[in-house]
Amino acid sequence: MSKIKKKRLGFVLDMTPLVDITFLLLTFFMFTAKFKSDAENQQKFEIKRPQTQSDTAKIPEKDLVMIKIAVDTVAKDTAFYLSMVAEQDIVELRSRMKEGGFPEVDEKSVVYKIKDTVWLGKAIFYCRDANRNAVFAIDADRRLKYRWVEQAVNELRKKKATTFNFVTEKKTGGL
Amino acid sequence: MAGGGELGGGQKQRRGKAGKRKAKKRLGFRLDMTPLVDITFLLLTFFMLTTSMITPQTMEMSVPPEIDTPIEVKQSELLTIRIRQDGMVFYNMGVDAPQRFAAPSKAKDGSFDYKKTLAEIKKVVVDQNVELKNRCIVVLKAEGEAPYGLVVQVLDELNAAEPDIIDRLKREHGINERKRKFTVSPYQAKDAEELMSL
Repeated sequence: MSKIKKKRLGFVLDMTPLVDITFLLLTFFMFTAKFKSDAENQQKFEIKRPQTQSDTAKIPEKDLVMIKIAVDTVAKDTAFYLSMVAEQDIVELRSRMKEGGFPEVDEKSVVYKIKDTVWLGKAIFYCRDANRNAVFAIDADRRLKYRWVEQAVNELRKKKATTFNFVTEKKTGGL
Repeated sequence: MAGGGELGGGQKQRRGKAGKRKAKKRLGFRLDMTPLVDITFLLLTFFMLTTSMITPQTMEMSVPPEIDTPIEVKQSELLTIRIRQDGMVFYNMGVDAPQRFAAPSKAKDGSFDYKKTLAEIKKVVVDQNVELKNRCIVVLKAEGEAPYGLVVQVLDELNAAEPDIIDRLKREHGINERKRKFTVSPYQAKDAEELMSL
């Protein structure tokens, strides 16, 4: 018995530095982690963004209006998915879309699936009405036909939103 | 140590006793940190695996507002870059015959690699801009069926050409200003016709 006890005592490690570092890393990852928003939760598609060289500009979070263009994995149709980021904007846009008579609007709508350019134009107008400083970003899949993006750009231009962003991805090594 | 003086020995004993007492106290305060470390590691792994470090980036674009009066430009100062639906990229100065950039190479997974094409585009754009001393206008036209990814890559290349142009203008012509960038314009039936046989 006594022999075993002695051996065990010999193996006691000071874990303090280990715990210190682990907590440090834990706090770092906890603070940097970003969780999916409601809008991202509702989407049924994945976007492969176009790749560009090191372009360090980050997306402006405030006042952002995201126009996603992607192919639905279930219905297999391409559509525009429009959503706003700020909580207040979401509410404002929802009431405007409801008033405008957009189909499929309920109390929880965050993303609007739009299939034609007429509604896209209207929605862009509502966004600008809801938030004067709205910044638009087009997030489209790189395998899509350019026509879809062109349509979105034309609608933005018609609504006098002549400056907007393309969401891209930093090019990685080989490609 | 037995040969040591009485005084010395006594001191040692006392010291030893004191040390023992201290050690005992410390032992009493030792906490078993194993569960804490377990949970911490668990959380750490969770956050490490769920965090995506690649944040999306943006490329800012400005398009001219709709205007009714067309702006006249000299044909000889117009560099047109056209992207055909099959991913081939062509360029021509003014009314010259369109020339093709290097065709993309096909990667193993079936996707296209435009590295060579893009490098050529950059070279042509930089050369023309420097040669024409700021008066060159680059127009990008993409067919509706062309992949969006390629259009953005070409735009990115045009953006990336800017520092080179500024640098070369300064060195070769002593011009410190950079005017005229590039513009995007719709692809028309005429463009398709011109590129059909190429």
